[in-house]
Parts: sequence; structure tokens; C-alpha cells
Amino acid sequence: MMAAQLKVGDRLEPVTREVKTEKMVEFEKCVWDRGRNSHSDINAAKADGISQTIASGQNQMAFLHELLERNFGDAWVYGGKISVRYIHPVYAGDRLTANGLVSEVTEEDGKARVSLHVWCENQDGRKTSAGTAHAGQPSARRSWLETAEAHAK
Amino acid sequence: MSDSESQFKVWESIPLGDDLGSLDYVLTDKMVSDYRRVVDNSQAAYPTVAARHPANLFYRKYASVMRVPNMGHDSEYFNPPITGKRITITGRIADKYIRRGNAYIIVEATAVDEDGRLIERSKLVGCAREVGKEAAHDNIAKKWGA
Repeated sequence: MMAAQLKVGDRLEPVTREVKTEKMVEFEKCVWDRGRNSHSDINAAKADGISQTIASGQNQMAFLHELLERNFGDAWVYGGKISVRYIHPVYAGDRLTANGLVSEVTEEDGKARVSLHVWCENQDGRKTSAGTAHAGQPSARRSWLETAEAHAK
Repeated sequence: MSDSESQFKVWESIPLGDDLGSLDYVLTDKMVSDYRRVVDNSQAAYPTVAARHPANLFYRKYASVMRVPNMGHDSEYFNPPITGKRITITGRIADKYIRRGNAYIIVEATAVDEDGRLIERSKLVGCAREVGKEAAHDNIAKKWGA
């Protein structure tokens, strides 16, 4: 099955997630435990000069990843590129939506390459991060899930 | 040396291209399932996002003198990581610059698994904050009243 091909001006199906304190704390312990910091502990946040904990930038990056994985499949996980700047703090209780807008479709080495503006915005419509992403045209395949299933057997 | 130059003394002492060494870990089923749970995405491909490879390598060497709160991130993905494989990351100081009165450090980390599969290459855009001199998130507090 072939996924729909993107063209300039297309909007990706957005992803919306609520940012919760317990998830922010757990995020800091995932893969490597980073200890208490301004993303997980109010006292650490105050020591760092802010009045409350803020979600880490990589937490926003995780939402942008979901947007790109869902919309591009293997075309994202094999050869995807992203460049993002964090431009407004994200707090527990915020509702973030990850967005993508196709800005250009070019050809590289005989293959289509899709360029996008990507950003997260909060419940007030304020951008909290913004940047660009690049990937091949969307693939219907999610081979990383096949791999996980194969390893589970 | 002028006052504006001397305020970045520690930043200046960190050499461009500095080798940050390497770290490794085995990506376990628990790490993957924990990551997928906390980001509300049961099919997430890259749990390494949470590992923040560049920051971990940087702090192993410079945590006592410098903080680099994350102002941005550039990443390129080559192959999704496979559970049970050992991942080795290597890092370096890829760039340094001063912009609008703030000193920045770009930390690059490359992740490869035990079979030699290139997983990802990431760059942390860090706002350089000297430990004991200024709070790590002073800039955020001033700009947004956080």
C-alpha cells in the first residue's frame, strides 16, 4: 500500500498532547535517570531562576517525533532531519499541538525530499517551539514496529 | 581584556572541537515501554530522544563549571534503535558563538549500536551558563517572567 504523497501547502495531521507533572518527572528518568532538575523538581527550578518546573525541550521534540512518525512512517525514521528552537516555556497543564506544513518538495539523488515548517503551540495558540524538518515522501510502512515484534518473539 | 569578554571566561576555556568521550548503554524493553508511556505514544520509534545524548556527554565532563540549558535541537535519524542492543554515543563541541550578548555551545553526539548501525546524530544548542555565576534559566525568567 502506498501512502499519499505530499505537496507544497499540505498540512500534516496534527498531534495534541496534554503535558502533565507526573509525565514530566518520568520523562527525566526515561532511558537515563537525570536526577532532580528544573524539569522535575520545584526546588531545582527555583535554584535555576524560574518559579515553576518547565517541560524539557526534548519533551516537545517527542511530540514532534510522533507527528512525523505518524505522517511519514519509515520515510521519517530512516533519514529524517529536524531542527527546532524552543521559544516559549511549556508548563504542566499546557495542551500542546505539534504541527507541520509542507514548504517545499525537491529531488535529491532521484528521490523526492519533503521540507516542512514544524512547530508546537499551546492551548492559547502561542508557539512554544518552531523549526524545520525534512524527509522522503511518506511511507505506509512502520518497520520499527515489525522489528520490535520480531525481537519480542 | 574587556568586561564583556571576561564574563565568558569559562565558555572561552572550553575548546572548539573538544572530545567529550563516549558513553554506552543497552536499550532495554523497560526503557522503551517507559518512554512510550510518558510520551503517550505506544508506537514511538526513538526512545533515545529522552536520553539526551549530547547533554549527558557534556555534563559528564563540564557539570562542575557550566550549564547548557537547551535552546534548541538539531537531529538526523538513520536507523531506529533495536531493543537489546548496546548503543555507544560519542560527542564533541561542534561550535561556539556569542549572539545578542549570550554565549552558546553546540554539542554534537553520534549514536551507533553494537552492530555498527548508525542510529542518530544530534546537536544540542546550549545557552552557556557558568555554574555559581548565573542561574541556568535566568534568560527564560527575564524574557517570559517564568
